[in-house]
Amino acid sequence: MNLITAESLTRAFQSTVAVDGINLSIKEGVCTALLGPNGAGKTTTLNMLTGLIKPTGGSIAFDERYHGDRRQYIGYLPQFPKFYGWMSGQEYLMYTGQLCGLTKKAANERAEELLTLVDLAEAKRKRIGGYSGGMKQRLGIAQALVNNPKLVILDEPVSALDPIGRREVLELMKKLKKTTSILFSTHVLHDAEEVSDDIFIMNRGKVVIEGGLAELQTKYQKPTIYIETEEEPDIWCRALKKKEWFRHMHLDKKQLTITVENINTAREELLADATLHKLKPLRFEVVRTTLEDLFMEVAKK
Amino acid sequence: MEEVTEMLSEVNWSLIVPILIIQFVLMVIAFVDCFRHNRTNGPQWVWILVIVFFQVIGPILYFIFGRRND
Amino acid sequence: MRQWFILFKKECLESVRNFKWLWIPIVFILFGIMQPVTSYYLPQILESFGGLPEEALFDIPVPSGPQILAETLGQFSQIGYLVLVLAFMGVIAEEKNSGTQLMILVKPVSYGAYLTAKWAHMSLLAVTSFILGFSFAVYYTHVLIESVPAAHVIKGAVVYILGMLFVMTLILLFSTLFNSRAAVAFLTLGLTIVVSLLSSLMPNTMRWSPGMLSSHAYSIFGTGEGGEAMWLSIACTLLIISVMVGIAVYIFRNKETASHSS
Repeated sequence: MNLITAESLTRAFQSTVAVDGINLSIKEGVCTALLGPNGAGKTTTLNMLTGLIKPTGGSIAFDERYHGDRRQYIGYLPQFPKFYGWMSGQEYLMYTGQLCGLTKKAANERAEELLTLVDLAEAKRKRIGGYSGGMKQRLGIAQALVNNPKLVILDEPVSALDPIGRREVLELMKKLKKTTSILFSTHVLHDAEEVSDDIFIMNRGKVVIEGGLAELQTKYQKPTIYIETEEEPDIWCRALKKKEWFRHMHLDKKQLTITVENINTAREELLADATLHKLKPLRFEVVRTTLEDLFMEVAKK
Repeated sequence: MEEVTEMLSEVNWSLIVPILIIQFVLMVIAFVDCFRHNRTNGPQWVWILVIVFFQVIGPILYFIFGRRND
Repeated sequence: MRQWFILFKKECLESVRNFKWLWIPIVFILFGIMQPVTSYYLPQILESFGGLPEEALFDIPVPSGPQILAETLGQFSQIGYLVLVLAFMGVIAEEKNSGTQLMILVKPVSYGAYLTAKWAHMSLLAVTSFILGFSFAVYYTHVLIESVPAAHVIKGAVVYILGMLFVMTLILLFSTLFNSRAAVAFLTLGLTIVVSLLSSLMPNTMRWSPGMLSSHAYSIFGTGEGGEAMWLSIACTLLIISVMVGIAVYIFRNKETASHSS
């Protein structure tokens, strides 16, 4: 069941086409990542889905079961969430909750619940103006959830955070995944791989690759062998290029990463290679790469 | 000079005092707010001087232009 | 309606916390007191500080009660409007430029309610400040000079308030059109001045205009009756205000909340 379907969605600004005829289908109960380098059109796409900007072409349809204003069913966290600095975290959540139609009492309960969820219960009476970046981001997630949305849209939810904040937010997203559908944008492949089920890769306003994470991984992932030696493997590894299982490699001093076609043949041959033994191998490891290669290729185009 | 003192004695002070009180209240509010607020548009000490030395206009200028509503 | 009230309450709370609900009324009260006091003591002040020949002094009569009230309104129309325009020139721009607006309008919030709540709040604050300031002016006039019949005062004040709402609505309209606060302030003040200038220069052609309202108010203070065609200008002002609010809502709805960032 698709929660939201966009067909040939287009948005042109005066001189540029930010989003160029993309098709998206966001499934219910799934965490979807919109992945792409900066300037790919991710934010514009999300803003069109939320209704903050109007498409210049194409259509957006929300699940028919949820009729009326689709803002009722969406929770949104912009890339740089801005709050009323003079309100406290609790006041802000109560305010947005009431705007979504909750009664004062219900809004208060919901605020308490969310403050606990995002771990801000202790700071709830403090002015938001005094919150740290990580706290603001967590409050941003809380306000996106205030109306129990069917779809939570997060724009670059972790990119501005330090490693600890990043981890916290990713864990929170994993928790949320169980109860609601998520659509988030990111320019970091690793984050997309960690939490998402579906991935849309965007570049220059177009969706270049789309599919389930597992599906993309089996399709595009290449097995890789990592070798670390004591001696310089420089001369030896040049000969590897002629092997029929060889795809490409990367040599960094004494650390060699080889992407191969057929892992079994490659492993057998390499382990039987007498020259390699003379280079005194320290490590020999079969690793699975991420989609990095694919992503880099797409981003370069 | 005599005329001035004569005039001052004629002035109905119960009518003038409220003006002074209100001016003072305005100044105190602006001063306290400016002092507690760490962020102002432009240096804070300049605003404090403006508030204290320019009656009525100073506090108003502070509230309109100096106060940052973060 | 419930949502509108929540938005309205937020505006009030914000203005309480940033002291607008304190300093704007105070400014009106100060000018409301100062005008009768200076008018009353003006001859004495001039006398003490000298310069004027004896005969001239007799030519400066202490003004009548209605005259002082009219002068007070004159002050409010200058300094009062200036203060209100400067205080509210960012009524839309502030939230739009800071990005807080986007977080609210992405929720199921009516654009019309968002805008009219802001308009209602700033009008309420302006009118309250005016009533407070003007009450002091009336009281001081009563103590120092003479009392003006209460019915005249109230009727005149109501007519003047309508003109004030016209100015507040101008702020709102220009705020939806321009992101620059300076532009909003400049255009609102400019247009207000132009309208009142034209009204005093060509009262006949401008008999419908909101700029006529203050002269009607002056006349009510004196005689209890507004000038000729008062009801025409009242009706036109009401119409202009509602049309401007309508246009503002229309523009605001069709303007995009999120801007394009590269």
